[in-house]
Amino acid sequence: MYRLIALGVAVFGFLIFPIAAPHAEYALDVLFLMFLYGAMATSWNVLGGFSGQVSFGHAAFLGIGAYATALLAAAGWPLWATFPAGGLLAALYSLLIGPPAFRLRGPYFAIATIGIGEATRLIALNWSSLTGGASGVTLSSAPPAAVQYYVSLGLCAATVGAAAWIKRSRFGYALAAVRSDPDAAETLGVNTTIAKTQALFISAFMLGVAGGAYAMHYLYVSPDSTFGFSTSISVVIMPIIGGIGTIFGPLLGAAIFTALREQLEANPFLAKYSLDLSVFGLLLCGIVLFEPRGLLGIFDRLVRRGAARAPKDSVTQ
Amino acid sequence: MQDTLATLISALLAAGLYATMSYGLALIYGVLKVINLANAGVLMLGAYVTWWMWDAFHVDPLLAPIVVLPLFFLFGIVLERVAIRRVIEQEPIVSLLLLFGVWLILQNVAYAIWTGDTRSIETPFVEATFKLGGIQLAWPRVYVFVAGALTLAVLQLFLTKTQFGRAIRAVSQDREAARLAGIDVERIYAVAFGIGIALSAFAGSLLSLLFPFGPDFGGALQLKSFCVVVLGGLDSFVGVAFGAILLSLAEAFGLRWMPASLQNLISFVLLVVVLIAFPKGIAGIIRSLRRV
Amino acid sequence: MNRPEPILAGRGLTKRFGGLVAVRDVDLAVQAGEIFGLIGPNGAGKSTLFRLIAGIMRPSGGEVLFAGKRISGRLTSTICRLGVVATHQIVRPFKNLSVLSNVMVGAFFGRQPRPAHERARELALETLETCGLRDRADAAASTLNLAGQKRLEIARALATDPEVLLLDEVLAGLNPTETDRTLELVRAINARGVTIVIVEHNLRAIRGVCSRLAVLDEGRKIAEGSPDEVLRDPKVVEAYLGSAAHA
Repeated sequence: MYRLIALGVAVFGFLIFPIAAPHAEYALDVLFLMFLYGAMATSWNVLGGFSGQVSFGHAAFLGIGAYATALLAAAGWPLWATFPAGGLLAALYSLLIGPPAFRLRGPYFAIATIGIGEATRLIALNWSSLTGGASGVTLSSAPPAAVQYYVSLGLCAATVGAAAWIKRSRFGYALAAVRSDPDAAETLGVNTTIAKTQALFISAFMLGVAGGAYAMHYLYVSPDSTFGFSTSISVVIMPIIGGIGTIFGPLLGAAIFTALREQLEANPFLAKYSLDLSVFGLLLCGIVLFEPRGLLGIFDRLVRRGAARAPKDSVTQ
Repeated sequence: MQDTLATLISALLAAGLYATMSYGLALIYGVLKVINLANAGVLMLGAYVTWWMWDAFHVDPLLAPIVVLPLFFLFGIVLERVAIRRVIEQEPIVSLLLLFGVWLILQNVAYAIWTGDTRSIETPFVEATFKLGGIQLAWPRVYVFVAGALTLAVLQLFLTKTQFGRAIRAVSQDREAARLAGIDVERIYAVAFGIGIALSAFAGSLLSLLFPFGPDFGGALQLKSFCVVVLGGLDSFVGVAFGAILLSLAEAFGLRWMPASLQNLISFVLLVVVLIAFPKGIAGIIRSLRRV
Repeated sequence: MNRPEPILAGRGLTKRFGGLVAVRDVDLAVQAGEIFGLIGPNGAGKSTLFRLIAGIMRPSGGEVLFAGKRISGRLTSTICRLGVVATHQIVRPFKNLSVLSNVMVGAFFGRQPRPAHERARELALETLETCGLRDRADAAASTLNLAGQKRLEIARALATDPEVLLLDEVLAGLNPTETDRTLELVRAINARGVTIVIVEHNLRAIRGVCSRLAVLDEGRKIAEGSPDEVLRDPKVVEAYLGSAAHA
């Protein structure tokens, strides 16, 4: 009950923020990023967390969405129309690479996705006639900061809402079964290949749309910034740190990620030694070793304080 | 003709490099069934330590392995005992993520100590070339190839002729059976992991002779070493050598009709295709053909 | 003898693993509504045959028919939706889910056409009730003991609303009380009209619950008939004794 109230207050606060503090440009910018990362992390989580298929190549979808927006906007499309187009293109791309990749399990799938992500980047880099090669594509103008903020907020809310709906649905049960034991799931009637492909499709679509928002904000897309491995890494790290497979875990991870990135700008010591890498590396190692359910898992443990109840059921909550 | 020969020799030399980079990966995977995603980081640190010894203490980079090998061997053992050991019984994706975290930390170590500037080693040897039958060859590349071949020979001897080596092979074939036979499996894990890390650091040390590098060095090479190991069948060093030759030939001849910037695409595509179509690698296919 | 069309039939089933022939030209006919047992000494190929008829493995030769239609070679998930479901010898609960959620997966994806969440939940709860697990519905699947997990395995499969339920060594590792309880459950399920094929080592238990048995030895079917007939058949006795002598 209290959680819902807290959530409501937070949501209200975020909704009125640009109106209440119209000149807090920096804060607006940071929050924009936080919601965007939240959307990105949630998108990855649908495939990586719900169905357990860890992909290190998701930047491909962000990149496709970002370039779609950049190129279509340059061709005269209104910005809002480019987002779903980018999402769709990313989703279609996922249909191409998904089925062969899904023949692999676990770590082999992960390695294959590294290859696919990098291959996509190389294609973007070399297909100069379409993408402008290494010089990338620039957009001419961006909407006002407040508009961007609401776009990002809306995107985050929409992806989280979609994730919450999926988790409780029949489809969500299929994904949870696939995550736990794909062969057992098959014997119970779950077509695991179709389930995984659907999860990837949705994940790619959402990330593609997020890519559009990215392009809108930065006004410049290049193969390294959008298709780069570091982007793929970030969408993996955020949900794992926050709590893989949960609804709010990716958001928590995104908040931490944004805070750390922002500190990197502000704190010269941190930046000089690139300590953000270690922070994430240590967090990742720590979580893998001690609490695979991430920070939310740690909170959960503290709350329950070893009560002999069943651990939080990842589906029926 | 001359042109093809030059390409072939170049490919062969590159194969030596690829193979050396990948032995560590193959050993760790073969014995512990763990995919060392931190391999790139170890390669990178091996290169850095070599460079640093040359830059700060004027140690000839060719002598660097004397320090690099034991140092990283120890590091590997510590890492295995402290972290890997705990996740070895879980699903393989867990150790993958753990080593990924380790890679991030290793990168940070490099940034922190040596900054993001590109480093390179410049000694007379590194710049030296010679001519063989009309083809210009760089000494370092030949040296790396020879070092790689020697490493393979030493490894094979170690695995087949020594008791410890045979114990390692037993564990990689059947962990439980080895345990029942009285082998201290945990000790083998630690040592094998240590050797694997040392091998990769050694490869990094060799690499520092060939290219300038920075802290994110190793990323693209990492994928190539995965490709090599997968091509060669994941569980034998001869397979690794074989996979390395296949990859370098594919790249060398691919360069004939592909722009250089797309060259890495070859290894990525090969990796994915082989993973999906030939889970046992090409070497595995040949082995099963022989059985029929 | 004029028998109705068997609900589950195997024709000339063969399975080769490299040079080894695990199952050799086996014919099987399971009638609707019966409890059919599959027995044989260790290494006879029972588990392999089970996997062939469950659709978990492809036969090297021969075919499996369900209600006259070929199911061998089809996707395991499709076979389940058609009405044939199997449990696993080594239990495989979805550890990250509760007992109820485990069963709901079966309820969602079995033969029923895409039930809504509430309906699937109802079905799952009913099934848990039948299997005596209702009170553990919200517990994590991993907290059940072996007997409980075996019953969960059955409940999950039952929730798919099968016509044929295949049970693989469902009594292995259970004490006598648990064994009896499980056999009662098997009979109760059968009483609702589900055909059951059971692979088992426990001969005493099997003769009490099965209407017919087939015996495998070294991949071949060596006997078939009522429990009394089969267990007294000298070939069968020889197969069991022979394997015991060589063990």
